[in-house]
Order: sequence, then structure tokens, then C-alpha cells
Amino acid sequence: TPDTSAAAPAPPRRGPAPVTDVAKLCVCDLLVAQCDVNCCCDPDCSAADFSLFTTCSVPIVTGDSRLCSQKAALYSLDVEANPPERVFKLIDQVNPSVFCIHATNYKKALSFSSPEMPTSENFDQLLKQFGSAAFSAEPGSWNKDIDAQNASDANETYRYEYGAPIQTVDAFLRLPSPVVSSWCSDANPAGFLVNQATKCTRSVSVEKCSNMQAVSMLFYVNSSILAVNTTVQSIVVQSLNGTRTLLNGSDVLRLPVILDELCINIVLGVSYHITYTGAGEIIAAAASFVLGAINKEALSIQQSFEISFTQVNTEPVPLSGNPGYVVGLPIRAGFRPQGYPFPVEISFAAFFLSTNKYSQLTILQSTSNQDCLAAQEARTPILFGYNMISGCKLRITAAMKCQPLTQTLLDLLKGQSFPEYVASFGNSQAQDVLDWVPITHLHVSEQRIYNAFQSSCQIPVSLEIEVKWTKYGSLVNPQARIVNVTAAITTTPLKQLPSGRERTIPVTSSVVFTDISSPAEPGYKAWPTINAKLPFDFFYPFV
Amino acid sequence: LLLREILNNSYQLSSVPLQILFHVNGIYYTFYFLATLAMIVYKSEVFSYPDDFLAPDLALLFIMAILEALRLYWGSKGNLTEEEAPLGLSLAMTVGSVILSVYFLVWQTYVLKADVIINAILLFTYGLESVLKVIAIAAFVS
Repeated sequence: TPDTSAAAPAPPRRGPAPVTDVAKLCVCDLLVAQCDVNCCCDPDCSAADFSLFTTCSVPIVTGDSRLCSQKAALYSLDVEANPPERVFKLIDQVNPSVFCIHATNYKKALSFSSPEMPTSENFDQLLKQFGSAAFSAEPGSWNKDIDAQNASDANETYRYEYGAPIQTVDAFLRLPSPVVSSWCSDANPAGFLVNQATKCTRSVSVEKCSNMQAVSMLFYVNSSILAVNTTVQSIVVQSLNGTRTLLNGSDVLRLPVILDELCINIVLGVSYHITYTGAGEIIAAAASFVLGAINKEALSIQQSFEISFTQVNTEPVPLSGNPGYVVGLPIRAGFRPQGYPFPVEISFAAFFLSTNKYSQLTILQSTSNQDCLAAQEARTPILFGYNMISGCKLRITAAMKCQPLTQTLLDLLKGQSFPEYVASFGNSQAQDVLDWVPITHLHVSEQRIYNAFQSSCQIPVSLEIEVKWTKYGSLVNPQARIVNVTAAITTTPLKQLPSGRERTIPVTSSVVFTDISSPAEPGYKAWPTINAKLPFDFFYPFV
Repeated sequence: LLLREILNNSYQLSSVPLQILFHVNGIYYTFYFLATLAMIVYKSEVFSYPDDFLAPDLALLFIMAILEALRLYWGSKGNLTEEEAPLGLSLAMTVGSVILSVYFLVWQTYVLKADVIINAILLFTYGLESVLKVIAIAAFVS
């Protein structure tokens, strides 16, 4: 495994240092920090794991077998013992042949040499040497001081690729997550550039709360990513009845402490924000905490964990596609405030504590009791490509007046802040006015028979949002682009009820995505033209 | 008088064991040379034997062969003509041969177990030869 430690300014990349100790070499150790099945040389396996193995997939690890005498590591399972245990022996293996290598004065004879890593300085020379169809392996041209190169490996920053586990001082950054049941398992590694949000249950008790690592802020701040200290960005304290307050000073570590039969400062949620550079190095890590309290009756708490990655010098606005919308990502919307020429985007912050998540284009979310007035706060964002329909039932009594009822229903259907513009591409910037599509509002009144004596009270009962989108761009990789958004409100006349009676009316809202792409037209290049120009003095003697 | 000289060995100073040893040495060295050459060819095929390392080994082997031929010629000539000068020269050249043999025993690029065995036998032969040469020189001088 490569050595990792403090960052150094842009050193040339090297391969990992070769491992030559047979006791430490393990070819079947493929899973990082986890026990591989039937791999007897895996250092991550405990004695309990060994008792479950059936065979050893790697029975012997040796060096070059042509040496007269060499060290060999033998792994075997002792099935006679109860429980079966692994037997590890380090022996000297002797080659009986008379042509075995007794000694060698050529250091690179028995191992592969590390090739030079290309940098901007030696690229031309390497290209000249290896750029043709065949080249000879002249060892005289290998870089002679390989040991000096290996020593500089130790100070190199480890560059991450997408999905690689983030390394900390002792192991990997882990995000507790539910595995099979909803109980927290601490073995889920955080992958680079993989945004995760998990919720799991952990069993706690007031007596043991000050000793439990998993509910203490210190544990999450201490598992510091290599070369970077985890700073505490913000602390929110949640009281027993659920109200949350943001604390002012967030540099003090608050450890769980027992106070008046309550255990306070228990970690209920951690949100990591990792800042990375374009080269794949992690340069900053911040954590936001939600701390809560438990009382004596509490047997378990639900913890939520989140990790998000932001590139340095960019704003963390999540895109819904680049450039076309991706199915399943929320539609980006905004409104144009008075006096501003550009639409201001309602940006949702990356903190999981913010309630701005629902300031986008949202639709009413059905609840289990189907009561409209109880479900006023529940809204779900509209995801591109997913047609949705939801509804609830509103109980109307005779005492309800027309105007407040209409307003309540409009608020219910449209939500608190219904946007005016929708981004036509997933990555539309707020400055590009032309990239934003205005929402067209329609009013449809549901009256089949025109009755001159009908009451003039029309209450909205249904909201239908139709999003027309088209495929844009090349044939092989078409991008989704929103062309038109229509919000149609259907109203129905409210018949006067005799006093004491009540009616239940259904209220529905739906979103439909329609593909209005025109069929693709082939595009051909222009016909080639003959571009022949005669020289100026072609007809010299005559002209 | 002639018969007495022929029958009385004490007038002959040439060392018979030394001559026998020269003869055996010649035969053994031919075998040694061919074996070492064959093993160098084998090593260059089986192992990674770059030219920088192959050239010195081959050169030293051929130098050693020439040195050995001259050394055995002069040693034999000195012993048979009962003159100490060629024998002394041969003794000096033995030192060079010993150094070359130690090179093939320890400082060669690849030292196989067979190399160790034949070089050890060669060094033992040189040691025995040197002792007998010294005794012969002492006999000739006095």
C-alpha cells in the first residue's frame, strides 16, 4: 500500500514502493480494511474469521525460486484443532538444483525495476526512447538511484480517484450507515467525490453515554483526514421536543455529559464538507454537528450522516445535469425579483439543516391521512422525468367563506413560494436570462353546464404542471432541455351548503413531462467547391 | 656411471608430483573453461544478463584461459629443465589466476552453486601447486 503523509508541492508521481518481505506480502488481500474469504495471509482477519475458512487460497509466498536458499511464508489451516486455526510458518526453502543462484552482484536481477514516471522535464527523452514500435530494455538507461526515488515517496500527497476510500491517520474515513437492519454499522467507507447521506439507529443509554465513542463529537473530529485537520463548521443543538438552535461559537468541543438525568451533547447528525482541488487532493475538511439530548427512557437514537464534496474556488450549487437535465434530479427554478434584470436563483445550501430545500419547484405530497390541512408543510421537489400525481381531501363546512378557502387551496396547491422561471438546462447559470423559461399560468374552470344562477365562487381543486422538453444536441448524446412549463389550475364552482352539512372534495396536483423532440434531421457538410485560381500572369503574352 | 645416474633418483631435481599436477590441472582447466563458458551462455538466456555485465565476465574468462596456458607451459618447462626462473614466473602468474578464480567465485554477476564448486576445486588445485612449486624452487636453488 503506498505511503501517505504530509503534502509536498507537486512532486512527480511515483509508483508504490516494492514490498519484498515475504511475511508481509499477501496477494489475496483485495478488500481494504476487511477480511478476504479464504485468504490466510490477510492481516485484517481475526482468529474468529480464520475459524470459518475452508482452505487457504494462497498456501505459500516465496521470492524467486531459483535462489539456492530463500525465505518462504507457509500458510495452512489446522482443521484438527477446534475451532480451526491458521498456521503461519516462516521457513528457509532450499533449491536442490546445482544451478541455483548462490549469489548475485547485479541488484536488479531478481526484481522488476520501477520505470520512470513521466514529468514535463523527461517526457521528450522518454518519448524518444519508448515511443517507437519496439524498444530494448537497456538497464543502463534506467534511473540509477531508485532508492532516492523511493525515499521521496514518503512525503507525497495521495491523490484520490473517484470512489477511492478517503484515508485517515489510522484507517479510512467511515460514515456509519445501516447495513442489513437499521442499526448503525461503522464499516462504510466514504468514497472520494461520492456524496452520501445515511440515517441509522444506534442504541444508547444515559449511563454509558459519556463513554460511547460514536455519540461523542471528539470521535468525529479526531478521525482526521491525512494532512488536513477537520474543523468544526457549526453546531446546532436540538432540544428534547425537537426545536433546533444554532450555536454562536463553534470552536469548543462539546462532549457528552450527564446532567439532571439527561445526557446532553449527544451527536445526532454529522455533515462533512470536503474541499478538494482539481488534481484530486483534499485540502480542507469541515464538519457540522447536530447535538441533542436523551433522557433515561431513551433506548436508541437515530443518527444521520452526510458527506459532500466541493471543488476549491467554486460555489457549491448542485447542478441537475450538465448540460441537459438528468432524469431523477430536481428541476431548478428561480424568480425574478423586482428591479433585477436577471432571475435570482433560489439556491439550496449544502447544509442538511437548511429548509431551503423546498424552495424549488415542488408539488404537494400525499400523506397517510389524506387531510389537506394537516399536510400543508409536506412538499416534495419535482424531479425531471418523473411524472407525479398527488392529492388530498378537503372537508368543507358551510361556515367556510369563499375567499379564504380559495387562498388556502392556492397555497396548498402551489406552495409558499412558487417560482416564476425554470432553468431550461441542468446547468443554467442565473446570469444567462435566455436560459430560463417562464412558467405559463392557465386557469381552467370546470363547468360543464353554464348556469346563470351559479355562485361566483370558484375554488381551485387541481394543479397540473406540464413540462415540455426536447432532445437537444448531437444524435449520439442528446441532452434534455426544458422548452415550456405550463401550470394549469382547474377551478370548480362552490355550491352553497345548507348549514350543518359538510362536503369532502378531492384536491389533486400532478406533474407530467412530455417529450416534444422533433425527429432528428441528418446534417450534411456542404458540397466541396473547386477552388482553382489561375496565376495572375497565366496568359502572359496575350494579356 | 650413466647407469648409476639413471638409477639414482637423487640426482633428478624435477618434481614428479608437480608434473603430474600440471597435467591434471591442464585437463581440469579445459573442463573448467568449457563449463564456465556454457554456464555464462545459460545465464544469459535464462536470467537478465545485460551487456554491461556480460562483457567483463567473458573477457576475464578468456584472459584467465590465456594466463592458465602460459602458466602451465612455463611451470612445466621450468620443472623439466630444473630452472627456477620459469618456475618462479609461473608462481607469480598463479597469483593472478587465484585472483581471477576468486572473481568467478565471488564477484561474478551470477554465482551459481556449480560455479562455487568448480572454483573451489580450482583454488584447491592452485594451492597445492603453489606449495609444490615452492618446494621445487627450493630444491633447484640449493
